[in-house]
Amino acid sequence: MGYYSALEISASGLSAERLAMDVIANNIANANTTRTPQGGAFKRQLVVFAQKPGAVDQSGDDPFGGSLDPTQPVKADVEGVQALGIVDDPTPDRLEFDPGNPDADARGYVHYPNVEIVKEMVDLMAASRAYQANVAAIQANRQMGNNDLGLLKS
Amino acid sequence: MADIAPPSLFGPTITLLQHAVKGAHLEHEQIANNLANVNTPNFERSTTNFKDALQASLGIPAPADELGLQTDDDRQFQVDDGSPPVPFDPQATVDETVQMRVDKSNVDVDQETTLLAANADYQSTVSQLVQQQYKFLREAIQEQTN
Repeated sequence: MGYYSALEISASGLSAERLAMDVIANNIANANTTRTPQGGAFKRQLVVFAQKPGAVDQSGDDPFGGSLDPTQPVKADVEGVQALGIVDDPTPDRLEFDPGNPDADARGYVHYPNVEIVKEMVDLMAASRAYQANVAAIQANRQMGNNDLGLLKS
Repeated sequence: MADIAPPSLFGPTITLLQHAVKGAHLEHEQIANNLANVNTPNFERSTTNFKDALQASLGIPAPADELGLQTDDDRQFQVDDGSPPVPFDPQATVDETVQMRVDKSNVDVDQETTLLAANADYQSTVSQLVQQQYKFLREAIQEQTN
């Protein structure tokens, strides 16, 4: 348990949620994109979150704390969250009948991205709230650190 | 830090408060991890048993239920299993209770932020108690207040 491990955990949450917001913003920006380098319409993208496998320090050779107390192994095996990757949403494209569109297929249907603005907005709000929760955790951590430092000046 | 407090200038109180602050930091770390993983599917929230560990470090067994025998007089028999004080050793435990969410996570943001605020206030209170302890000691040394 290092002094900054709680901050690192919250920081991992901040960057993960920010990545989620970036991806959602990209989805919204490309909500009507019918041409992509891969061909076809834009595919809605999703971020896959996973618990970050912590470097479990069971040996107790924490550089600072371990030197103070070698009898107690450090048990901080929680290391926050990580984004495993960005995957495409496999749901089918939205089809609109528009024979005049240059991107229309042989039957006159245009393939639009499988992006639903309402769903993206809800996801954006969820990511934003999660970001705020991590900020609250950082503020609480700072407050606790200030309390600890306040012991020195009493 | 894990050992039982030797009799010292400050008595056992400072050591107890020190353990409480350490436990609060550990708890904060778990809550921060729960909040960081609030959008992680299949995540199970974790917490710590630091208050039980704190009680055990005083030699008081954690009550198995709320129906323990209470004494209000020294002449009454204390029902004590004679458990000796154990070193303060808080552990992080995974909460495997019912999952409310469709993504099989049992993290509730409201619950976690409430626990976060409560834990920070707890740590703040304990810090002030430590300050008070040293203030008392300083007054005793200087034979004056302030």
